[in-house]
Amino acid sequence: MSARDNILRRVREARQAAAAPTAEEARRVDERIRARTVGPRPAVQGDLVERFLSQCERMSSTVARVACLEDVPGSVSAFLSGKGLPLQAAAWPAVAALPWDAAGMHVQARPARGDDLVGITGVHLAIAETGTLMLLSGPDTHPVTSLLPETHVAIVPADRIEPAMEEAWARTRRETGALPRAVNFVSGPSRTADIEGQLQIGAHGPFRVHVVVVG
Amino acid sequence: MAHPPLRVGLFVTCLVDLMRPRIGFAALKLLKGAGCEVVVPEGQTCCGQPAYNSGDRRAAQALARKMVREFESCEHVVVPSGSCSGMIRAHYPELLAEFPEERAALDRVVARTRELTDFLVNVAGLTTVPGQFAGTVTYHDSCSGLREMGVKSQPRALLAGVRGLTLKEMATPEYCCGFGGTFAVKYGEISARIADRKCDDVAATQADAVVLGDLGCMLNIEGRILRRGESTRVYHVAEVLAGVEDD
Amino acid sequence: MTEAAQEAFSGTGGPGTARPQGGTFSGRAHDKLHDAKVQRAMRNFNLAAARSRAMAELPELEDIRTAAAAIRDTALADLDVWLERFETEATRRGVKVHWAETHADVNRIVAAIAREAGVRKVIKSKSMVSEESHLNAALEAEGLEVVETDLGEYIIQLAGETPSHIIAPAIHKTREDVADLFHQHHGTPRKTGIPELTMEARAVLRGHFLSGDMGISGGNFLVAETGSVVLVTNEGNGRMVSTMPRVHVAITGIEKVIPTLEDVACVLRVLTRSATGQSISNYVTLATGPKGAGDADGPEEMHVVLVDAGRSTVLGSDMREALRCIRCGACMNHCPVYQNIGGHAYGWVYPGPIGSVLTPSYIGLENAVDLPNAATLCNQCGVVCPVRIPLPDLMRKLREKQVEAGLRPRWERAGLRVWSWFAQRPALYALATRLAARVGRLLGGKRRAIGRLPGGGWTGERDFPAPQGRTFRELYARRPR
Ligand code: SF4
Repeated sequence: MSARDNILRRVREARQAAAAPTAEEARRVDERIRARTVGPRPAVQGDLVERFLSQCERMSSTVARVACLEDVPGSVSAFLSGKGLPLQAAAWPAVAALPWDAAGMHVQARPARGDDLVGITGVHLAIAETGTLMLLSGPDTHPVTSLLPETHVAIVPADRIEPAMEEAWARTRRETGALPRAVNFVSGPSRTADIEGQLQIGAHGPFRVHVVVVG
Repeated sequence: MAHPPLRVGLFVTCLVDLMRPRIGFAALKLLKGAGCEVVVPEGQTCCGQPAYNSGDRRAAQALARKMVREFESCEHVVVPSGSCSGMIRAHYPELLAEFPEERAALDRVVARTRELTDFLVNVAGLTTVPGQFAGTVTYHDSCSGLREMGVKSQPRALLAGVRGLTLKEMATPEYCCGFGGTFAVKYGEISARIADRKCDDVAATQADAVVLGDLGCMLNIEGRILRRGESTRVYHVAEVLAGVEDD
Repeated sequence: MTEAAQEAFSGTGGPGTARPQGGTFSGRAHDKLHDAKVQRAMRNFNLAAARSRAMAELPELEDIRTAAAAIRDTALADLDVWLERFETEATRRGVKVHWAETHADVNRIVAAIAREAGVRKVIKSKSMVSEESHLNAALEAEGLEVVETDLGEYIIQLAGETPSHIIAPAIHKTREDVADLFHQHHGTPRKTGIPELTMEARAVLRGHFLSGDMGISGGNFLVAETGSVVLVTNEGNGRMVSTMPRVHVAITGIEKVIPTLEDVACVLRVLTRSATGQSISNYVTLATGPKGAGDADGPEEMHVVLVDAGRSTVLGSDMREALRCIRCGACMNHCPVYQNIGGHAYGWVYPGPIGSVLTPSYIGLENAVDLPNAATLCNQCGVVCPVRIPLPDLMRKLREKQVEAGLRPRWERAGLRVWSWFAQRPALYALATRLAARVGRLLGGKRRAIGRLPGGGWTGERDFPAPQGRTFRELYARRPR
């Protein structure tokens, strides 16, 4: 008997269930999955964009809001200059296609490396309840770009903001189907409190998360 | 009086019986003042909590069944202790599940058991108390009273009616005093350290007395206060409500 | 003895064994109570306050706790079926699923993965299961370099210690300790500012993230619906170890499965608030397989090791509710005993109330006799537990099992027996207590306090208030009518 069989057998014994899984059990499990039960949760009230922005700030992200995609480069460039950061970045290809040059920025369409100071990404969705970015991995949506640079800039179209994680899952099932290799929920900069319980921003991931909502 | 008197069985508890009988008399006085007819079943000893919490289920069952037998005819069972009333209400049903033939009596006793201040406020509707206390007190919420019996506002409401008394809350009144029954003896050093935190909290209020509703906490906190050489008094809430009589 | 306990006492003490630390609980607790540094660190530590602030903003808290407990119970009720579902989905996504019956199996499986993939350096995100099996030592014995990357875990790895808390492993360390460790191990000038120390660790660990061949993580949850492993971190090291190295291995207990993505959303709301008071942790990652065609980043191999090591036994026992645990740490953060003695006194991987239930369950009742007793049963833990584990009830049941198994000291059993014999005989009891009340009163003297009692457990650092001198029963019989 393999370890697998031994463990499964012991579990069934512990449950005082028949030696082999029954059709009834399979049905129960299938139904539970298909029901996609949403549990009790706080209501996300008011304007979604407003709520999202305020929660982002609560999680120590900085925020900006622009009217249209063309305004993004100017806004980002102003943010970076204000922080004394270089006007150059690695970005997801779709993001790199924006008119960055006109804003004085040098943006390359490639995955970020360990020495990049700024990474610019879009999002798959965003979550108003907690000020969270939802990023899916993919050939053109590199997870490293939101992870390695000290500053992560995320461009969030207003119509991609969902009230809560439950709506985000439902929409992902509709739009994308199966989950990609990595789904990353990012809520503000990296932090730690492992020395004397004192909160420090910037443990391993970015020091800054700057969110630009479009629309 | 418009209503017939409430008929109450007082469960004195073993610690009050042995250590501080005046608390039992204070409870009697308060219950009578609230218009109750009180009986004190004679053979009563202990609810079985020490055995239960020490893992001696059989001894606990014997004492629990004895308690149920002695109080099954009482309309109300009142206990001047959060943990003993909690033992009855929260744990007897599980402890005595093996005795279905005694189920009816058990259910009656469990449903009728109340902690003293809870009974006075929520059943007897007591609004005035005879006690007087010239000074400041702080109230310690005993764990079982608070978390098993929902005793929180009741003692405070009653203390507010004690003439001359000012209540000053400590920073963490709900924090355990470290007693824990036999824990206090088996792990005395840890227990005393936890009690010390409680004493620091009490001392910070500069209250003249700490008031509480459980003998276990009382012995523990008072014991640590005495060893610290402090003069803060420790009273059971019934004593303060009925009028303190130091001996 | 359970299998795990046999292993614990197989005498080798080497990697792969579940062994409690040496000494007694009381001895370790005594040392910690008199260790000024530990005491200072424990006083600084206040995740309980953070939790209560967060919960005050969540009016649905009690309903969500109930729902979270129900989700965990659903998974446990059909555990094997959910695990097979997880395995099917994960395998479909290219994950290699391994099953470990014992701690030794965990170490063997991970070492074999490393060997086959030609791994030299392992970077680790927090995994309590790997602490159970002493995985680091096992991998080091294979000649691998192992680097813990959670800042707290990194600190204690440098110090050669074990975690004292499940989410704040180095909480017993002061900044001075960290300053010494970094100075010594990094060869850098000694610095004591917490921001500077954090930045130094970031720089050192960044090098490891970029050069590690294999990443090891725990798994907060396994999602049966999708075959995903959920990683929850604040530092981002969970993302790092599951993204940067060629190989990612997630090690987790078989009890960690939950049905759906919606369940992830539900349980997270109470997990992060209970743990650190955050409405969500900074990073929540669902890892579902190795990198796909065209992906520029991500691991080439992903493995999941499902660990039993005593869990199936607990599932079949009356400790089952303990398997709901989502490792938030709230029970220890709120425990008056833990707050005073810290985690190391508990002697094994899991401290605090949940440790007092899990340790005897995993390594044997007889190997952790103190733990279920070393609690006041104040139930602060049960009140805060996000999945409503009745921790004091479970500890009490373990006490009953100890009595049944004859594991309690003779004096204690005899004492209880004598006392309960009297308590069942009111007339004798009345006599005995009359006597005790009088003797006690005499012993108390003018101070009305007894300064020394046999055994000294009570009176070591406390007096015992003397009884009033007469029993209630006596006085009541003599009352004026
Ligand atoms: S027992 Fe409950 S409170 Fe303790 S760590 Fe587990 S989930 Fe958290």
